[in-house]
Amino acid sequence: MSNHKTEQIPPMLPDIFTLPPYGGNPPMLLGGYCGHCDAYFFPKPRYCPRCLETPESREIGNTGVIHSFTVVRTKPPLGLPQPYSVGYVDLNGNAAGSGLRVFCLFDPDSTERLEIGAKVTLQVGSLGHEGHGKARLRPYFKPVAQEQEK
Amino acid sequence: MASAAVIGAGMIPFGKHEDRTLVGMGAEACRLALKDAGIKPSRVDAAFFSSGLAPKLFGDFTVGQNVFWEVGINRIPVVNVENACTSGSTAFFLAYNMVAAGQAEIALVCGGEKMCVPGFGLISSGETQLDTQLGMVAPAGFALRAVRHMVEYGTTKEQLAKISVKNRAHGALNPMAQFRDPLTVDEVLSSPMIVDPLTRFQCCPIADGAAAVLIASPAVAARVARKVNVACSVLVTGNYKNPQNLANWETDRLGASKAYEKAGMGPEDINVVECHDAFTISEILHYEALGLCPPGEGGRLVDEGVVALGGRVPVNPSGGLLSRGHPVGATGVAQIVEVVTQLRHEAGPRQVEGARAGLAHCMGGDKDGDCKSCTVSIFSV
Repeated sequence: MSNHKTEQIPPMLPDIFTLPPYGGNPPMLLGGYCGHCDAYFFPKPRYCPRCLETPESREIGNTGVIHSFTVVRTKPPLGLPQPYSVGYVDLNGNAAGSGLRVFCLFDPDSTERLEIGAKVTLQVGSLGHEGHGKARLRPYFKPVAQEQEK
Repeated sequence: MASAAVIGAGMIPFGKHEDRTLVGMGAEACRLALKDAGIKPSRVDAAFFSSGLAPKLFGDFTVGQNVFWEVGINRIPVVNVENACTSGSTAFFLAYNMVAAGQAEIALVCGGEKMCVPGFGLISSGETQLDTQLGMVAPAGFALRAVRHMVEYGTTKEQLAKISVKNRAHGALNPMAQFRDPLTVDEVLSSPMIVDPLTRFQCCPIADGAAAVLIASPAVAARVARKVNVACSVLVTGNYKNPQNLANWETDRLGASKAYEKAGMGPEDINVVECHDAFTISEILHYEALGLCPPGEGGRLVDEGVVALGGRVPVNPSGGLLSRGHPVGATGVAQIVEVVTQLRHEAGPRQVEGARAGLAHCMGGDKDGDCKSCTVSIFSV
């Protein structure tokens, strides 16, 4: 997925995730941080809803656990695959102030193996379009590989 | 004393009305409400029209003025209201406030929708919203709540299916309902899966339709024998805090508690409810938000028949959105038409015995894990 062509595909919306090329670093979700209020938001709001200052864009995480998930089985919007899955991931708390519960897509190939509480990691790739057939990069979470049983 | 009362109500049967226009349907509902109240159009001081989708589907704007002119209404203030699924009940909220403030003696509210068009697909909350761009569609938001409700409270898919069975049984008694054939739990669960765990019969159908009510000041209503008092009309917006609790809906609860406080009533005073059963899980969540049972026990209410006709507090005796269908702009007003009909004791075979107080609840839009709007209105005789 991290090829020259992917780098030319625009994200479905700006400032939601870091863009390729990643140079070996994982893709990260971007949120907003207000320094006045020491508060994180996802997605980044235009103004801080508490003090009305302009928040800065900050990485808010790329790993978490599944809080809820579902599979959409009818005709999908935006060129998404049929079926596709969506849900909420609780981002791991870390120095970037997460604990945010983010609505997200899941890896279309992992639809039948999602579980509540499963650990997931963020990926970015060409997934669906913008409503008129033009490809777009979207973020999606993928369950981490299971540990080998000893 | 109530600061306003409903003095007229009317609606057309909901369904696929390919040969009818939005303006035609709205005009018929208005005429029914005006005739029901015995009020001439020249006496209406303000009018509010709601449609959720006309601009998007047909490129039609300011439809209200067209609808109201068809029934002889012009010159007065006319407002077109869009608030997703609460477009109609928001129009009612605005009209009620105008009458209660003494700025109108008589106000007409009409909600309508024409949405049975080819290739309609699933409703979203707007193309530019992040959630929509990540694949959020209306059933998915509720499906995600259903998953958490089942995990946290042990709600079962059979309990969800029973909501559809109950509302179809109610709809069978309502000539205004679109789908009036009974359903069994098995039929509901074996219908095609839309968004896990919600199967086709657990999702409200689209529909065309229109409904209207006339609200009047106490002075005008005093001369009307079949008036129904408005104890309150409340509108709240979502809070978009993070994280949202999916199984215990704070905004839903806020709307309900504000309504009870304004009306000076509690859930125990309510005899009949029309609520926003866009999906089966929605109704269970709303039982809990409305305080009909403690959190997590909504499934038990349907198991025990508490919320069916004949039970302690029938919910959606009209058949609800699941059985009537959901013409987006019309639903909020149609729910009020049903509550008013129940409190007038004119509901025939679906009459809730001895109903003295009723509640109409509606909810609309999705944003950041919460709804955008929630309305609760309480009525009494």
